[in-house]
Amino acid sequence: MTKPWTARFALGISVVAVPLVLALLGPLLVGEPGARTASFTVGDGHWLGTDFVGRDVWQQVLHGGRPVVLTALAATTLSYLVALPVGLVGALTHRRWLEELLMRPLDVLLAVPSLLLILLAATVLSPGPVGLALLVALVNVPDAARLVRAAATEAAARPAVEALRMQGETWWSMAVGYVGRSMLRTLAADAGTRLTGVLYLVATAAFLGVGVAPDAADWAVMVDRNRTGLSVQPWAVAVPALLIVALTMGTNLLFDAALANNRRSDRGRGRGTKLPDATRTAHNPAGSEARP
Amino acid sequence: MSGLRSFLARRLLLGALQTVAVVLLVFALTEALPGDAAVALAGDQPDPARIAAIRETMHLDRPTHERLADWATGLLHGDLGTSLTSGRPVGQYIADGFGPTLLLATLTVALLVPIGFGLGVLAARHEGRLADRLISSATLAVYAVPEFALGVLLVTVLALQLGWLPPTAVGYGTDLLGHPAALVLPVLVLLSRPVCSLSRLVRAGMIDALASPYVAQARRYGISGTRIRYAHALPNALAPAAQQLARTIDWLLCGVIVVEALYVIPGLGTVLLNAVAERDVPVVQGLAVVFGVLTVVLNLGADLVAHGLAPRAGAAA
Amino acid sequence: MNHADDTTAQVGDTTAAPVAEIRNLRVEVGGRAIVDGVSLKVLPGKVTALVGASGSGKTTTGLALLGEYPPGAHVAGDVRLAADGLVGYIPQHPAAALNPARRVSALLTDIARPQVRHLPRGRRRTAARERVLHALAQAQLPDAEVLLRRYPHQLSGGQQQRVVLAQALLLGAQAIVADEPTTGQDALTKSRIVDQLAAVAAHGIAVVLLSHDMDVVRALADEVSVMRAGRVVESGPAQRLLLAPRHEWTRELLREQPEFTKIGSATGTGRPVLRIRDLTAHHRNTTGGTTEVLRLTELDLRAGESLAVVGRSGSGKTTLARCLAGLHRDHDGEILIDGTPLPRSLRDRTRTQLAAVQYVFQDPRAAFDEHRPVLHQVARTAIRLRGTETSAATQEALATLTGLDLPEHLVRRRPWQLSGGELQRAALARTLLARPRVLICDEITSGLDAITRRGILGVLTTLLHDRDDLSLLLITHDLETASLAHRIAVLDTGELIEQGPAQQVLTAPGHPFTVSLTETATRLRAQTGA
Repeated sequence: MTKPWTARFALGISVVAVPLVLALLGPLLVGEPGARTASFTVGDGHWLGTDFVGRDVWQQVLHGGRPVVLTALAATTLSYLVALPVGLVGALTHRRWLEELLMRPLDVLLAVPSLLLILLAATVLSPGPVGLALLVALVNVPDAARLVRAAATEAAARPAVEALRMQGETWWSMAVGYVGRSMLRTLAADAGTRLTGVLYLVATAAFLGVGVAPDAADWAVMVDRNRTGLSVQPWAVAVPALLIVALTMGTNLLFDAALANNRRSDRGRGRGTKLPDATRTAHNPAGSEARP
Repeated sequence: MSGLRSFLARRLLLGALQTVAVVLLVFALTEALPGDAAVALAGDQPDPARIAAIRETMHLDRPTHERLADWATGLLHGDLGTSLTSGRPVGQYIADGFGPTLLLATLTVALLVPIGFGLGVLAARHEGRLADRLISSATLAVYAVPEFALGVLLVTVLALQLGWLPPTAVGYGTDLLGHPAALVLPVLVLLSRPVCSLSRLVRAGMIDALASPYVAQARRYGISGTRIRYAHALPNALAPAAQQLARTIDWLLCGVIVVEALYVIPGLGTVLLNAVAERDVPVVQGLAVVFGVLTVVLNLGADLVAHGLAPRAGAAA
Repeated sequence: MNHADDTTAQVGDTTAAPVAEIRNLRVEVGGRAIVDGVSLKVLPGKVTALVGASGSGKTTTGLALLGEYPPGAHVAGDVRLAADGLVGYIPQHPAAALNPARRVSALLTDIARPQVRHLPRGRRRTAARERVLHALAQAQLPDAEVLLRRYPHQLSGGQQQRVVLAQALLLGAQAIVADEPTTGQDALTKSRIVDQLAAVAAHGIAVVLLSHDMDVVRALADEVSVMRAGRVVESGPAQRLLLAPRHEWTRELLREQPEFTKIGSATGTGRPVLRIRDLTAHHRNTTGGTTEVLRLTELDLRAGESLAVVGRSGSGKTTLARCLAGLHRDHDGEILIDGTPLPRSLRDRTRTQLAAVQYVFQDPRAAFDEHRPVLHQVARTAIRLRGTETSAATQEALATLTGLDLPEHLVRRRPWQLSGGELQRAALARTLLARPRVLICDEITSGLDAITRRGILGVLTTLLHDRDDLSLLLITHDLETASLAHRIAVLDTGELIEQGPAQQVLTAPGHPFTVSLTETATRLRAQTGA
């Protein structure tokens, strides 16, 4: 029975391995940058040819993964750093006004399309890589905070929490010790889908020229800038594009395999046969799969 | 029923608040400019005449609340302001770009619904078998991939290597309907992510419903498989799918911007990107208001449809 | 699997031919037999009861009549059905068997459709509709036209159950399997369900009743099979089996509840521990306003006394309990413990106040943290509320738990490894470590089978006996449980309609509602056999 998901893990890992290794170790492997030659040439000592300003494409590829991966990781972490306390307090406070104050603005923000928000900010701020990470984190906060709050509200409404309160446990030990712990599974599932979504946004923003220098060594920027030479020198576009495809696809496959594994172990834990139906609906697989 | 009415009222209020928020957010943009807004906007060409012109067009010498009031009144009358670079009214920019974008969006949604539902139902029918495994793996893999990466790869293979389709829409102007071949790749790329998410959701909803006690009851009482699938299980997958369609609007908008840039289609996305590049704030603001309000309205519509399909899910909004 | 239709009528039987028959059924899942060597004959117009604690294999046997087995089950033995072999099923939670996204009419119409296929096309629709309406009328559902246009969530629990019954009747089922139809229902609802199933049997339909509720079995069953751990330990006519049980396990199931208290002891003499004055409680409703759900002018609980608060579901009894425990903040009025007012919310209560009023939840599984060992959770009460050292608290918890027959190796496990009854005892231990003045038990036995329930009630009796400073507030819909208390207070739609010594309320009720409650309960107990 364990075979199918092991196979899916293996598939995910093998797809994500190449771009991930290139992204993390590439900058260490790269040699001295050679002199610039003519743009969009093939061969002539450059095994992937040259790019739009005559740089070696392979060297650019080695450099270009790190910004994508690091920005995405930073943005995901940042969005949780904000969303976790906001969502938890929103769920566990009994002051209605505080909950409204925290959650309502997020509901409103949720309506603005994420890329539009990033482009708007880019118009006036001309952000760098750090700015881009902040922006992507910001557009992810509303959704993440809502998810945290929903999970925490569900956990906090259980009789177990009321029992803890009857025992005189402190707010912190309930919030962190029970509610936080009960949410871990949901959060882990969400982190996977969120990272995939953040990778998408970071790459797309870079492709549109937000948060990057026009000649930056970045896979998304390479795809954009080298498009003009697509018919003469397709490698300068195809290789970074393929790496981005493999990175996003592999991340998604990997997290999905982990999730399926999680669900399986959930089911394997026999908690008596007649469970109320609520336990089934609470773990809605569609919800976690469908978020961008 | 008072439940439906209060849901409607709450949802409409939220929609109105979101619209106001979008307008305020967009307006706040000019306020966020560091230092002297006019100087900042002039950017590479800081000659005094141009700075003065910008200050004049945007009324930067007047207090904030007056400008907000003016701008908001203008919006209500359909006046979105004038471009900083060309001096043309923003409304005209939008009118120019509207046709191609509407065409792309309509085509995509028209294909999205049948393909998404079809694949989802097909996969659920053959759960665990080859067809399901193929569909599930493909949709899972494709749905995380950014449109631009998929788009250039498709251009490389289908247009440049095989020569089946034109690589871009350059030279066709706004007359895209006259050149359907140029539309194939953009629509294909635009469909890629929404189709995956929709079909996965329909599949999950169908499988859940097919394993439910109420479907077991229907099976027990001899209802045919086809009837169970389409009349009893599918309706339960519709409500979450309708809600997902609403979320898809966000993706479509992102997709439209990227796809128009990629295939050089002169739609609203291209107008927006050009304005961003030129820091033409009034044009960006006008487009942002149009896009934002459109999203709010479409989300509202989808929520209402979803509410109609699953009366119990009302609390979710 | 031998799920064959047996078209040849059974000969040699003195009574009517059985509608369905199970011979030597064995169902194995993962190498473990959950049903073993079970034989069962289902006769038309008779009620055949399968009795046993949860997990005894009742449901598996019942579903075998429908040809359904757990996934991956290995099945041996015979299940034979009579000629048309149609079997209906009423699941334990009827709401789950109704499609939330379709109107009530959808499945009913689909069931009726094949039955009118012989008619000309134009008349099919009306004919199908007539059949549906007839089935609904048979299931005693008035206003069928309106009902058909409703969604399941717009129906009451009773209506949902009757719609599911109507489906089986419409199908033309020769036998209907009813799975725990009365679990967790109050006396009035129970009696209604009993009437309904009796009416079904009177139509000549065989009823297979899966239940651990001996009152309902007494009231309905013609034939009884007692199951334990997948085997039938005793079977026979209800009359004989219930009056003169042969097997020890049957006797155990049938044994009367032990007398809880000696009548006249303590009641009326102790001074009040808990006093409630002019209490009104509210619930938030869907439109944002509030509804008043409880109005109590005066209610006292004396030291060493047990008070049962009874009422149907929705009568406000749980709200009352939650107000006292500080779990329901939305209330006005005074709750005094030893003369000092208790703050409305738990958050504002001091440790002493928290310890004084403790609360045991209905569902013990939901009331424990699934990640921590039971022992640790029980010990926390002493640590938090009485400032005991960790090791001393653990020792005390262990002593209390073993006193409640929970051995050490068991309580060192996580909650999901304990049974419902064991967890409920652990939950009691958890509150006892607070050394409470008042212990509120909210329907703590309603999810348990007869034997486990008796065990828990026994524990309560001993507690009250051993600790004279403890007062008990029992929230229940079950008059039998209530009869074990010193005093009974009856709630109906948020009003206290009667209170007094248990004996008096039960034997000479003053209020019409109490009269109807006690009458249905007695009727249930009196209707032995058909």
